[in-house]
Amino acid sequence: MTTAKRDRDEVFVEYTKSICPVCKVVLDAQVNIRYDKVYLRKRCRDHGEFEALVYGDARAYLASARFNKPGTIPLTFQTEVRDGCPSDCGLCPEHKQHACLGIIEVNTHCNLDCPICFADSGHQPDGYAITLEQCERALDVFVEAEGEPEVVMYSGGEPTIHKHILDFIDAAQARPIKVVILNTNGIRLATDKRFVAALAERNRPGKPVSVYLQFDGFDERTHREIRGTDLRERKRQALDNCAEAGLTVTLVAAIERDLNEHEVGDIVRFGIDHPAVRSVAFQPVTHSGRHVEFDPLTRLTNSDVIELIAAQCADWFRADDFFPVPCCFPTCRSITYLLVDRKEDRTDVVPIPRLINLDEYLDYVTNRVLPDQTVRAALEKLWSASAFMGADTTARSLATAAAELECAACGIDLPQAVKELDERAFMIVVQDFQDPYTLNVKQLMKCCVEEITPDGRIIPFCAYNSVGYREQVREQMSGVTVADVVPNAVELRPLVVDSPYGSKIAGNGSGDAAGNGYRPTIAPDTTNVGRPAVQR
Amino acid sequence: MTDEDIKSCCSAAYGRDAVALVLGESYHPGGLAMTRRLAAALGLRSGQRVVDVACGPGMTPCTLAAEYDVMVDGVDLGYSTVERARAAAEGAGLSGKVGFHLGDAERLPLPDNTFDALVCECAFCTFPDKSTAAAEFARVLRPGGQVGITDVTVTDAGLPPELTTLAAWVACIADARPVREYTEILADAGLRTTSVEAHQDAIARMIDQIEARLAVLRMTAADHLTAAGIDVDAVLQYTLLARQAVAQGLVGYALIIAERP
Repeated sequence: MTTAKRDRDEVFVEYTKSICPVCKVVLDAQVNIRYDKVYLRKRCRDHGEFEALVYGDARAYLASARFNKPGTIPLTFQTEVRDGCPSDCGLCPEHKQHACLGIIEVNTHCNLDCPICFADSGHQPDGYAITLEQCERALDVFVEAEGEPEVVMYSGGEPTIHKHILDFIDAAQARPIKVVILNTNGIRLATDKRFVAALAERNRPGKPVSVYLQFDGFDERTHREIRGTDLRERKRQALDNCAEAGLTVTLVAAIERDLNEHEVGDIVRFGIDHPAVRSVAFQPVTHSGRHVEFDPLTRLTNSDVIELIAAQCADWFRADDFFPVPCCFPTCRSITYLLVDRKEDRTDVVPIPRLINLDEYLDYVTNRVLPDQTVRAALEKLWSASAFMGADTTARSLATAAAELECAACGIDLPQAVKELDERAFMIVVQDFQDPYTLNVKQLMKCCVEEITPDGRIIPFCAYNSVGYREQVREQMSGVTVADVVPNAVELRPLVVDSPYGSKIAGNGSGDAAGNGYRPTIAPDTTNVGRPAVQR
Repeated sequence: MTDEDIKSCCSAAYGRDAVALVLGESYHPGGLAMTRRLAAALGLRSGQRVVDVACGPGMTPCTLAAEYDVMVDGVDLGYSTVERARAAAEGAGLSGKVGFHLGDAERLPLPDNTFDALVCECAFCTFPDKSTAAAEFARVLRPGGQVGITDVTVTDAGLPPELTTLAAWVACIADARPVREYTEILADAGLRTTSVEAHQDAIARMIDQIEARLAVLRMTAADHLTAAGIDVDAVLQYTLLARQAVAQGLVGYALIIAERP
């Protein structure tokens, strides 16, 4: 018999709540660090233990804790605290942050049937499209909660095929909302110049309309496996049409392990060179809705994507050129800004975090003396989910940050140089949305990217996609029963069957715990069970 | 060139706006994080009196006063730098705890046997007469008081010759010494070294920052740079050499604590 005790192979760092990826019941969860990586683990009484990689760099995960900004309380809440997070969305008064970015999904229909679609959209017999009244209600709820919202994003489905999409944009612009973003696959932008012109007409100084263009890479295989068809020519045409019309574009790349992870560097270089593109957003594929089979333990995380960018653009970046965003939980999103100087023979790129000691401005825990509140405020606006190139707030904040950078140089006339600076700036965002495997209530409670539903709720994006709200809203809006979607994880293969929309659902035909197709509540809670801790 | 020439040149360079712009507000590698590390190594406690020699525009005195509740006397050789430091302390509401003096490290305008601690961040290596400066440090400290120095270090072989020119003084490395020499200079002044920490990352990061700032200035204000007498390509040659020297371990950054017995 051995008497030597063994150590665990992991460091226990957080106790939190998550959900069962199969039945969506709320569970206790723990976050552990193992071999320099961060994992979230939980156990469901009915479906067993689940574990997923949540951050590929444990040191960066822990170091980012200081860059956590006190949240801002929205003007109104839409729900009450009853069952606790994530069952009360939203926003409930326990939510820790206001909405930096509001998303309105205008339809479930799409002119594509992508193998990867967290919204589970496509050419489908059922589904819904919101009315103008529903859109206006959502906008009004957003304005009530935010006063003067920074950004509303129209998404779907494919929002450009909604027959009222221009009316929706007009409705947003008629309200005190600063920026409208259209999230699109680009097919209509490529094929309908009158539509592009109509967007350009609405893209006015102080009220910009800008395009969030799905753009996953350049290989035919990437297109076929992520989008089901080769869209390269469409993307090129859409971008050229936007450039011609003066529309600002963000390239949005869904990055999947072993699929297009080798293309991140080319996407950045292409974006910097294209006149319409001012930013790139990289998103590790969200394993909610429809997606290719994956292994939760080797999925891509923010730090992995950042390392890929650094490796593939080694002349320009290092991983520490990306800085965590303090408005949400700092492990959810990282951003860098570049100043770009394109010359005939070469392109010079300077990441802004090398110019300013961001950690001295955005450290909300250690710092007691602040160098300059104005600069901090500007940096907060830049390192935020509401930062979009082309938005006045973003341009102004870049100017303020740059002015601090050069303020000592009394000899140099700043205003002119700074004006040019905005035109040279380029943003790269890396955002890891949570899925039913990675969902951590700690992060969810401070989420600042929100879905605004037709019934007037504001629901954190990752709760909407992972916990069951998306299915609930679709069921209410379409009148067709919608089972809870289960991730297409290798280990769940024996448990799942295809849903009518191409995603996976629990094999009994229903994702809910009772297995009878009845949805009693979103994410029933088994962690606050109302019993004494010890029962005698 | 005499020592006096070098010193006034170096000080003028630090005081001059064009260089301030290149080196950034707090001037020393590691920034505030290194300052806090230094304060922790000194074990600063509420109510203590601290001197900051070559304090620049006052960031370190203000940080120490606010975070460690100490009284700080900052000394700097540049008139306009001292003025800016005073304004910064006033702006931070710290004028009651922080004072500034125009003065030379080799003739500190401060009384004997008074201070609990003295900090000198990335400046000692630029003092032409390091022994006199060290003796001044010892003079103003009370018995049991401590010196905390962060500075550029080199190996015993010294710097590559390309980095010993006057222009390299601006990057505060030309007269850097091996750690052993620093501790000997301190020992000769009666200061006993109690700990030495290496912080290579800090100097690599400073070089990044200088390069990035120069690149931006070249993008946005090339004409003004020329007018201010900065030849970006020439400076980038030095930073490249400095970077190589750091990578090869020829140049480093050390935090040294020494005590007046």
